[in-house]
Amino acid sequence: MKTCLIVDDSRVVRKVAARIIQDLKFDVREAGDGAEALRACRDSMPDAILLDWNMPVMNGLDFLRALRREDGGKKPLVVFCSIENDAEHINEAIRSGADEFIMKPFDADILESKFAEVGLI
Amino acid sequence: MQDEVFNELADLALKGAGTSIPKSKAYLIEARLAPIARREGFGSMEDLVHCVKSRANPAFIAEIAAALVSKDTRFFRERETLQRVLEDVLPARLKASNTGRLKIWFAGGSTGQEAYSLSILLEDELPAALRGAKVEILSTDICKVSTEKARVARYGHYDIQKGLSIHRLTKHFTRLETGQWEASEALRGHVSFRQHNLLESAAGLGKFDVIICRNVLSGMARSARASVVDNLASQLMPGGLILLGQGEGLIGLTEKLEPARDFRGAWVAAGTANAAASAA
Repeated sequence: MKTCLIVDDSRVVRKVAARIIQDLKFDVREAGDGAEALRACRDSMPDAILLDWNMPVMNGLDFLRALRREDGGKKPLVVFCSIENDAEHINEAIRSGADEFIMKPFDADILESKFAEVGLI
Repeated sequence: MQDEVFNELADLALKGAGTSIPKSKAYLIEARLAPIARREGFGSMEDLVHCVKSRANPAFIAEIAAALVSKDTRFFRERETLQRVLEDVLPARLKASNTGRLKIWFAGGSTGQEAYSLSILLEDELPAALRGAKVEILSTDICKVSTEKARVARYGHYDIQKGLSIHRLTKHFTRLETGQWEASEALRGHVSFRQHNLLESAAGLGKFDVIICRNVLSGMARSARASVVDNLASQLMPGGLILLGQGEGLIGLTEKLEPARDFRGAWVAAGTANAAASAA
């Protein structure tokens, strides 16, 4: 079973996303900020990461840059998921190593479509 | 919803658009007619039916029938088919013609996402064999509102994220202050839109190399499907083909068409299954 790490400081968003992603047959883990997510990745690299932008301690962009600097091993597919949905923010996320971008709010159809877009399903 | 009200509206959908709505899906009627009911100030479907019967306004009745048709669509739905049209079918058609012009019709194209998807492929992945060709895409829908939405080419937050990668979104669409995303001029340049009821003759639309009619017939009554298929078949250029949605077949419905030999889901004029277009 593929694994997905959901990184978002909102418990509600994590819960909603987890339910959708579990329905897509993923084993789901959660992290509340970028630093916690980085520790989780070093412990066990997931196949996919659903990543929020604005979070305390370490934001999504800093996490993503740090993740992409990690040496070797599995490179997870990262789907940014943010309320910051103007072209400038989207392009910055892509330049920093995101594979896809979901503009919040989202629903199950959008999440499934974006996971399909990067070949996760 | 009372049986009498359901029957009136289901009958209207059948006669006006060929749409078959079973009683178990009566909720679809309420959902699809809600915008009209709101606009007209009807408190219930009963009020709406009463108005239809008392006014007998053909334009209003046609609008209701059109509103009862499914608008379900998304970008790059069944993308392998679109890819094959671009890479195989259109080059073969171009080779077979001497006009340098290719015409594609999305019949029942709803709010335009499928037509714009092909337009995106023409911009991003144009095969060498199609360079210099004039590719014209027409998308029609029975619903005036859907047709206008397609023509305006502005999509909201949810619609724009279904089937479209973020790379293509930022490349081909611009975010407006309203939060909507507007298709580029280049995309719009390939496509035109017209309101058209598939139950009626399409002679005025001209002939086409490829007709794509997906997930339209499956929502129709059998008698309506037969007449729509006849209308589509009449608009095929010699050697052209019709593409239906996955799981949609025509066996027993028409004698004018037969399955294309090498393209699952495609249909060609009866007796021509081995022609150039299907050899793709």
